Amino acid sequence: MPSSHPLRFAFYLAAVITVTLIHDPRMLLLVLAGLLLLSGTGRPALLLRAGRPVLWILLLLSSGILVMGWLTGQPVLHALLLINLRVLVLALLTAWMLRDVDLDLALARLPRVRRWLVIVRGQIQLFRRLAQDYRCAQKSRTVVAPTMHQRYLGSAAIGLAALDKGVHNAEMVTQAMRSRGALHD
Amino acid sequence: MHIPDGLISPQTYLPALVVAVPLWWWAARGFARQVGDEALPRLAVFTALAFVLSSLMLPLPGGTSGHAVGVGLLALVFGPWVAFLTYTLVLMLQALVMGAGGITALPVNALAVGFIGAWTAYLLFHFLRPVHAHFAVLAAVFVSILFSALLVALVLGLQPLIAQGPDGSPRFFPFGWSVTLPAILLPHLFIGAAEAALTLLVWRHARRRCWIPSACGREA
Repeated sequence: MPSSHPLRFAFYLAAVITVTLIHDPRMLLLVLAGLLLLSGTGRPALLLRAGRPVLWILLLLSSGILVMGWLTGQPVLHALLLINLRVLVLALLTAWMLRDVDLDLALARLPRVRRWLVIVRGQIQLFRRLAQDYRCAQKSRTVVAPTMHQRYLGSAAIGLAALDKGVHNAEMVTQAMRSRGALHD
Repeated sequence: MHIPDGLISPQTYLPALVVAVPLWWWAARGFARQVGDEALPRLAVFTALAFVLSSLMLPLPGGTSGHAVGVGLLALVFGPWVAFLTYTLVLMLQALVMGAGGITALPVNALAVGFIGAWTAYLLFHFLRPVHAHFAVLAAVFVSILFSALLVALVLGLQPLIAQGPDGSPRFFPFGWSVTLPAILLPHLFIGAAEAALTLLVWRHARRRCWIPSACGREA
């Protein structure tokens, strides 16, 4: 793995495109093994992180392929291995990139993209914290489990309150930074 | 609804990239003009909201769930070009931060969900607005979700036709339109209805707060 983060990110992008050009399951298995070998310590956690977002998609696709093969009587092993391995290799590459690439450093040459990524990531974190705060506040004041109707109403109230707070917070931060001369680009 | 990496062929994502790049460029060119300084923090919050909506599971009848998109809301509040650009950022964040969606699938997702979804919602809303504003929001978002879902289903169903091995076996997504159209469109009838209601809730709130320039009679 190269030490420079932009280089690591470029390597990731090139690897992702290359993997979509490989159509041999044995080659993809080799790539998977190579990636696991090169990814260093924490391989099981990395594999788990890669597998979790694609698990249901792969299960759904695989069962569909198996049913299709059963109905048509055609061999499906090649297609089954090819799709599962390709999606898993791509997910592993992404998980590895997420673990070992600092996106802020990787996108240093694209300041506008980086700025938006940082702003939006900050807002997402704020939303999550607000949602968690409100959820905890609601739970601590409710003794019986809410009905579905109450949950929908509660979620709507929490969402709108979080939106107000998010906008207020973003405007406050922007004004504070601008008044200190930080946003004059 | 967006497509993950590994299911669509280079024959699909490369032409999609060729179409998407000039559209991103055009959207970025007019970005500063369309979004004033005052609206920038608000746009960041709404982009984050679209991201949260995309990762928020809505309970559906029968115990299933699906995720909302949020691009209709962005289009109604900030306009279709801004919505397209910011939704691309949402997709990028999902791919690079969460590991959901994907880099190769980004242009297809951005075009099908971000571009078509945003423009459908925007145009339909302005067409139906004279009838009834709330109905226009509901219909615009519902139809835009279904339209994006239809495109995603068409792109996925196209894969076995354009990317086959020498023996005819599929190299990418293996099922044709007979499977993808009902499998993707039917759940999106429920998702679209839920997202339309959610968008109406936030849109009314945004209008009350004067966050929508056209609804307040002043530039944001």
